[in-house]
Amino acid sequence: MSWYTPILAVAPAFIAYYLTALGHGIFEKSGVLNLAIDGVFYLSVAVAYAMNVYSGSPWCALAVAMIVAACFGVLLAVLVTQFPISHGAAGLSLMFLCYGIGALIGTPAVFALRWKKMENPNFTIGFTTTPAANAGMIAASVIIGLLALYMLNRTKLGVAIRATGENPHAASALGVNVLRIRCIAGAIGYALIGAGATFFELAWLPTWQQLQGMGHGWIAFSISLAAGRHPLLTLVTAGAFATLLTYQYTLQAAYNLSPDVAKMIPFIAAIVAMVIFMVTPLKRRLSPPLSLGKIFFKEERTL
Amino acid sequence: MVKVVVIRRVKPLPLGSVLIPAASIIIGILLSALILYVLAGTSPVLLFINVGRGFVSIETLRDFLMLTMLGAALVIAFSGAVWNIGEEGQITFGMIGAGYIALFTALSASPAAAKVAMIVLALILGGIWGLLAGALKAYVGIDEVASTLIMNYIAYYFLDYLVRGPWMGKHTYGYIRTDLIPATTQFTPIPVPGATITYEDIVLTVIVLAFSFFLLWKTALGVRIKVLGSNPDALRAAGVNVPMLITIALGISGALAGIVGAAQLAGYLHRISYPIESHTANLGYTAILVAWLAMLDLRAIPIAAYIIGSLDQAGRLLQTAGLGGIAVTNLFIGTTLLTFTVLRVFSEYSIRIIR
Amino acid sequence: MAIKPQTPSGVVPASETVLMVRGVTKRFPGVVALDKVNFDLLRGEVHALLGENGAGKSTLVKILYGIYSPDEGEIYVNGRKVTISSPSDALRNGLALVSQSPQLIDRLTVAENIILGLGKYGLISRVGMVKDFIIKASEDVGIKVDPDVEVWKLSYTQKQLVEILRAIILGAKVLMLDEAITFLPIREKRRFYKFLRKFADAGGSVILITHKIKEALDVADRITVLRLGKVVGTVKKEEVTIDDVRRMMFAERASQITYQRLPPSQPREEIALEVEKLWVKGDHGVFAVKGVNLKLRAGEVLGIAGIVGNGQKELVQAIMGLRKCVRGRIRIYGRDVTNVPTAKIRELGVGYIPDLPIRYGLSPDNNIEENIAMLPVIAKGIISWGRVRRLARELIEEFKIVTPSTKTPIKLLSGGNLMKVLVSRELMIATKLLIAYNPTRALDEATAILVRRIIKEKARSEGVAVLAVSEDLDEIFQISDTIAVMNSGRIVGVFPGDKADRDEVEKLMVM
Repeated sequence: MSWYTPILAVAPAFIAYYLTALGHGIFEKSGVLNLAIDGVFYLSVAVAYAMNVYSGSPWCALAVAMIVAACFGVLLAVLVTQFPISHGAAGLSLMFLCYGIGALIGTPAVFALRWKKMENPNFTIGFTTTPAANAGMIAASVIIGLLALYMLNRTKLGVAIRATGENPHAASALGVNVLRIRCIAGAIGYALIGAGATFFELAWLPTWQQLQGMGHGWIAFSISLAAGRHPLLTLVTAGAFATLLTYQYTLQAAYNLSPDVAKMIPFIAAIVAMVIFMVTPLKRRLSPPLSLGKIFFKEERTL
Repeated sequence: MVKVVVIRRVKPLPLGSVLIPAASIIIGILLSALILYVLAGTSPVLLFINVGRGFVSIETLRDFLMLTMLGAALVIAFSGAVWNIGEEGQITFGMIGAGYIALFTALSASPAAAKVAMIVLALILGGIWGLLAGALKAYVGIDEVASTLIMNYIAYYFLDYLVRGPWMGKHTYGYIRTDLIPATTQFTPIPVPGATITYEDIVLTVIVLAFSFFLLWKTALGVRIKVLGSNPDALRAAGVNVPMLITIALGISGALAGIVGAAQLAGYLHRISYPIESHTANLGYTAILVAWLAMLDLRAIPIAAYIIGSLDQAGRLLQTAGLGGIAVTNLFIGTTLLTFTVLRVFSEYSIRIIR
Repeated sequence: MAIKPQTPSGVVPASETVLMVRGVTKRFPGVVALDKVNFDLLRGEVHALLGENGAGKSTLVKILYGIYSPDEGEIYVNGRKVTISSPSDALRNGLALVSQSPQLIDRLTVAENIILGLGKYGLISRVGMVKDFIIKASEDVGIKVDPDVEVWKLSYTQKQLVEILRAIILGAKVLMLDEAITFLPIREKRRFYKFLRKFADAGGSVILITHKIKEALDVADRITVLRLGKVVGTVKKEEVTIDDVRRMMFAERASQITYQRLPPSQPREEIALEVEKLWVKGDHGVFAVKGVNLKLRAGEVLGIAGIVGNGQKELVQAIMGLRKCVRGRIRIYGRDVTNVPTAKIRELGVGYIPDLPIRYGLSPDNNIEENIAMLPVIAKGIISWGRVRRLARELIEEFKIVTPSTKTPIKLLSGGNLMKVLVSRELMIATKLLIAYNPTRALDEATAILVRRIIKEKARSEGVAVLAVSEDLDEIFQISDTIAVMNSGRIVGVFPGDKADRDEVEKLMVM
């Protein structure tokens, strides 16, 4: 085992959390408070699992998961932009809906997998995780991150997304089609979440039971928040959490912890990370979009 | 090009506060039926039959009482626009408090003292868990939905650790769970066959509901919470300490939810099984639907609690495609809440389509 | 993309109508803002839109810019009927609006703000592509900007200049200025006048909204006067005098308006409010209040005159404990209240009419009773609703608040009645000191007079000290025992109310 193998072992968790956090961050930059993240993450995990079982190809699963997730992203974008609906209420509703749908998609797939294994004992799901593949995942993450950064800071699309997040009314007055931009941000953002969830399921933990992945969307939420939604800084926070989660069991053995306490640690870390971001100058340097979560509705009223 | 123009109504939709929740429930059921049919092949007829059974099932009474308490607790928080999604965690900590008194203290000798102590400790621990999240929002600025949800998992895993570790029972027959709590600490079931509720449950529900009414309608704290939900800036200018108010609102909500944890343990479960997240009745999330469908009006909470409790029971009866009832419950919460959120727009705004 | 619209021969046909508004009506809850308005704009003219507050001038241009949609009526651009349902539509038709508060996004750079409106650049385009273009355009027009600077770093004047540059880059043929240059220093304003003239001479058109008759006569070719949503008339500048126009703006009320001073009160010895060398920061990290000193006696009404945006709002917020005092002291009846929580200040018997009354004073979803009971000075612990209801009824009666009941959510009340709720409540609880910002804004004339009388009465008989900031100079002259002028964060002049010279005050306001 070379020196880099332990580092590469973190790759599946890393790309999973990173892409999810990145996609979430991009969508939130357009001003939509994304509380549906855990629901969509859970649903995408189930979809990825099921699609891999049915089609035999993890890449097919990746594509389908991304598309399904993107549809939900667009749905959320439309709901909160066209109607004066609270982002939180819309997001939470979608979260529960996705929890329900995810369970309905994943459960039959468990039985389907058993059948397939009986017919063909060599049938497995998931991406192969050789050290080369792991390195590829890390590289892909960094490249996607750089592309996201470029898009956000140098292209008109990125400017429009950021403008919508800062002040959708002013953005509209400046010529931005707020609905269109939020739909694009939603599609891209959620597609990335779907991709992250796919890697979570097919590259890192290729099993499924009804609670698979639940709560981990929130970890990605914290990862994104603690990094100020900056595509490159998110690499750092995602890396930290991925390391923590990959070596959770090692940690557990080393410190003789109960497995339940070990499970608590990432969630406690999530809260701590968010607190650190909020109380340090990080918050001012990487401030959240000014209109995040604000209802986009101009009341025609004088006074 | 069709443009949708949304204009605020001068007067709200008449009967909106009844029509909209009712429509949301009906549409929610229909949408859930559709999704269940498409994805799981569940017969819609079977679904509707079970919905009907849920309404008349005597087991629904338990959910009704618990959801009334949880719903009232949420109305207090939601009225202040403090989104307490963490009742599951607060219930869990309530259970921890009650469990500790019941299993590990000598108080179990006297039923009255034990039960009171269980409820009080449950209230305190649930309240602290709520205060924590409230303070994180008020003083650090962390969105309470994210924090309370994450804290739910922390609470689950903490109880799991206790049950698997120091609280592991001696007579468990291979299951990972605590012992049964002593008979003196168990609540007294009402003498109706099949009913799973106890006298104490009823008393607690009445007390919690009465307290909530009193708080919101008769105290300055209550008025301030209501204004908090409408315009915190006005409160600040009026001289109210808004961060403290937010913290207290979540704290009170958490304390009341903690009581439900005690009631669940002493009145129904009688022991805690591992892992708690698989055994939870999910009431902390279902209560969100109850609070919203009641339009945050305490008077409608019992009604909403009964309806949602019935549907929850229906989900359990349905047991479709090898799924636990929780999946169906989540699905239903999702469709109904989504429909409600959209329909609610119509009560305050009128939508015009301009070509 | 043409920066300066030009005809081939360089001479503009004078009678070409570039914009026509026919029968436009717009209603808001409780008020008709525009009533069957007809309006024409010619190519190459500077057209002033005059009227006092609430005349409908802003509403008209907001409709032309797609921010509001008209309930009735049609708009024609260059003879073609158009529907303008968004600012993008308006820009596509060559209409651009620059209002008093810049509509730019602070965190973005100038180039980023401008590229958003340039349709020919698709979403994939690089922001860099636009920078050279902006520099060249700004040179052409004579406005200097650095495209890479973030907007929050610019001064107000610079932001307005960027707005105009943006409008021109986006091909605006009609520039609509909604009091956009009212607050510029005189020198900058003259630059703008010259620029507007050049723009018009080159074939563009300008709609200039102002409430200053003299300004309109200086720079405009024609003037349209609006009153209460109706067009009173359109005249050529050569044909009218200042008095003519004033008569059109105020009609029969012109003689009736008594800006007569209310009888003065006798200030007492006690010093109610003392502000000493106060420094307060504004919203963008820059100091808004720069070393203000004030002394207010019990029973005295101190009016602070000044153009909006010179630190008045920050001063008032600091006194109320809603904004941090960086340097200096504030004392209320001898007690040091610098940076003390608002609750403690309110306990001293201080009433507060905020600069944004609905945002900082009222809770729209709650009813009148709750809006009263939410104040800690009125209700603590357990509430006696009987008492609160009685208070509510008193206020409703005294101020003639129109509401179905005390239990109606106040968001259902009209704007004027909302203000009545706020003002009446604050006047009631101000037992020692009243801090008021635009106390009669949105109130009808009768109620405004009532409020001013009550303020004077409280000062005279109860010894309440009043600090009143007002954008309405007439009001200041009417109620103040002492007038202070605030400009650029400093008090630049203090005058006794009865001896103040209006011209001098106005000069200090705009120097």
